[in-house]
Amino acid sequence: MKRLAIAACLCVAPAILPAQETRIASDFEIRQMERQAAAAKDFESQLSAHLNLGDLHLTRNENAAARDEYRKVLAIAANERADARKDGNLAKYATATMYAGFVHAKLGDEREAFELLDEATRYAGDNAKTWSLYAEAMGELSYREKAAAGARNAVAVAEWKGESSLDLAVYRFTLSAYVPRPEATKLLEDVVATLKSHEFDRVRKEVARRESFESYSTVRDDATAYVSLLNRSLLSLALSYEANGDVARARKTYQDVLAARSDDPTALAAIARLSHSNDERARYFIDAFDANPFSLDTIHAYEQWLRAGGSIHDDSTSAGAQVRHAVEQLVRGERPSLDALMKQFPGNDTLRELATPRSHAPAFLAGSATSVSPTAEELRDLMQLDLTPDQRVALDRITFISSVTFNPRPPAPAGQTIFESGTIGDVPFKFSEPIAFAGTFPTTARLTYRILGVSGNTLLLEPVKLEGQ
Amino acid sequence: MNALLAVAFFAQTVASTPRGVVVAHDGVVELQGKWKSESVSTPGVIALGETKTAVLDEIHDRVAIVDLANGQTTFAKTQATPIAAAFAGNDLLVLDRDAHVIEKIGGSSIQVAQDPELLSVAGNHAYVYSRIGGVLQEIGLEPFALLRTIRIPPFASAMQCDARNAYLIYPRDGQLRVVDLAKMQLAGQFGVGSAPTDVAITGDPTALTATRLAIPDPLVKRVWLVEGRQSSLQAFARGFLRGMLGVGLFRGKMTQFPTGVDRVIASGPRWLAFDSSTGTLYNVTKDETNILARGLGPHSFALTPEGVAYWQNGTLVAQKLD
Repeated sequence: MKRLAIAACLCVAPAILPAQETRIASDFEIRQMERQAAAAKDFESQLSAHLNLGDLHLTRNENAAARDEYRKVLAIAANERADARKDGNLAKYATATMYAGFVHAKLGDEREAFELLDEATRYAGDNAKTWSLYAEAMGELSYREKAAAGARNAVAVAEWKGESSLDLAVYRFTLSAYVPRPEATKLLEDVVATLKSHEFDRVRKEVARRESFESYSTVRDDATAYVSLLNRSLLSLALSYEANGDVARARKTYQDVLAARSDDPTALAAIARLSHSNDERARYFIDAFDANPFSLDTIHAYEQWLRAGGSIHDDSTSAGAQVRHAVEQLVRGERPSLDALMKQFPGNDTLRELATPRSHAPAFLAGSATSVSPTAEELRDLMQLDLTPDQRVALDRITFISSVTFNPRPPAPAGQTIFESGTIGDVPFKFSEPIAFAGTFPTTARLTYRILGVSGNTLLLEPVKLEGQ
Repeated sequence: MNALLAVAFFAQTVASTPRGVVVAHDGVVELQGKWKSESVSTPGVIALGETKTAVLDEIHDRVAIVDLANGQTTFAKTQATPIAAAFAGNDLLVLDRDAHVIEKIGGSSIQVAQDPELLSVAGNHAYVYSRIGGVLQEIGLEPFALLRTIRIPPFASAMQCDARNAYLIYPRDGQLRVVDLAKMQLAGQFGVGSAPTDVAITGDPTALTATRLAIPDPLVKRVWLVEGRQSSLQAFARGFLRGMLGVGLFRGKMTQFPTGVDRVIASGPRWLAFDSSTGTLYNVTKDETNILARGLGPHSFALTPEGVAYWQNGTLVAQKLD
């Protein structure tokens, strides 16, 4: 069984969806893996089914369901370890031990993960897969230096043993996640070039014949491994270009992903993020939410865009649209109603997070300062809060100072400037009525104020003093 | 419940020192009844010196160095993944697998080959074996420097050194390979069972006998007892012949290790066998094998002058052995 590295939010859907039906991209893989789990008799089939189910649930932020699946893998691996030792089959014992260690890492159990993976490397240190799993486990536990060393071991062992190009590409892909960006980019470019070479003509024919499109983290045949690895390598490469500021190549590479799978949620969200036109951005956000409504990365990117003035007006009722509308309500300072979705997707942590009043209280509410220069983020956090009595007292005590940009007003009498609204960073504010300030001020000025409250997505301010910058 | 599920994963380390049994557990290190000090959070391998002991934390890349007289502990940061350590006088050597270095704590470090896993100190030298390239490197202790490097077969799982030789165990091809440390070259190799995984020196050489080795073999669920290399090739061959004629501890097809054993620890002529898969510790004598404890971690037991000590369910158990 080959093992591919895990990456976030990587799901696929059937190539052709029925008209008007919007399906979450990972639905198909989940159903496939549930069928495999129900029918599986052997260790590898059971293990890959439950491991993939855990990973698929994770991409949808269904964390409890994911952990349930990982615990099933632990039980399966424990049985396999016991049986293998009784049978004197040390290769099987090593395989079961390394997967047990890997899954402990996914569950955050670092002691157990280390102990089991150490055991696995004692028995199968000459197996590249062991080291690749060690690397992924260390990555899960955020030990990147250990992960890089393990991944280098995997590549070295695979090269020494002359393993297949596909296996070697898997190990190089894993390594790319833990090395400095220039090396990672080179590794990924090599992996993609290898996968697109004539060497894989036979595999591509098989992929075409089977109409394979699914992407899994644990795969058992070359065609699925090829599709999954190419998808993830392209996504990682695009992200690498994006991080380097090479937006054009990043977009082109994300488009390559979509050429193979038009509803890849990661690529759709990325193109939405990189778009220059609001129309294009809106279109890709709609598709990205439909492909995976529960990606926090997509939600955060969408929220940022809305706060910068973006908007989408549609009456779609898909799960993705409902989550989008919930984000829009949050941005407007409203509490979204997600009851129907939460019934449809019980145990979804994204929905729970959206439905829970935000409680990131800015630090100044807990301090004793009477004069504060807040960041826009702190103001946004403040707008989401249901203030406690103590926080209300603190807010009344504080005078705030910010650089503001006023919205232009009609000309005022000589020696006066009238303003009524404006923005602090990207946070809109307004006064209770137009205020005439003595003096002549540009639209960008330094405002001293008190915060009275919130109306929709707008702060209500009481001006205290206005100064030129 | 499956026996494997009963294996305790709580990290703890037990070591027998001249002043008593030291246990590292739950973030503390203690010499019971004498002192208790802060330690690393996930204790792994322990190294013993004459006056100090060192507890490695391979997860968090730290080492706790404890004064055995009073428990005074100092901490040091290591490089990535410290998996083996040894004292050379007052100097603490630590092998950091994922950083590919051997370091002298408080001093310098030396780059070694990829995947260094096994460390042994003999005389004025340390020997580091790196699995992937099959690289054995000799490190001078004073001055601290890389002296010699040879390539031998890769993927040994255990190594022990006596004054003259390094003994390396290879599970995949069932071989014990011997390196002559004076010449720093491979001196021979011998088939030992089916999949030997560990090696312990269970007796020093005498005028008539070679170093004796205990080698667990989980595939056939036995422990092989063989003699190491003597000074001449003839004695070497004879020694091994005698060892292999003994063919392990058990005659016949029955084994008293239901799931096999894969580790041995030894102190002088006494030794214990351990099954990592179930955490079962066995006492083995010439006549019988009995289970001392189940559900132990791989570092949670030690031979003591009187018998054995192990950490089980939050308690240090000391047991006399005949």
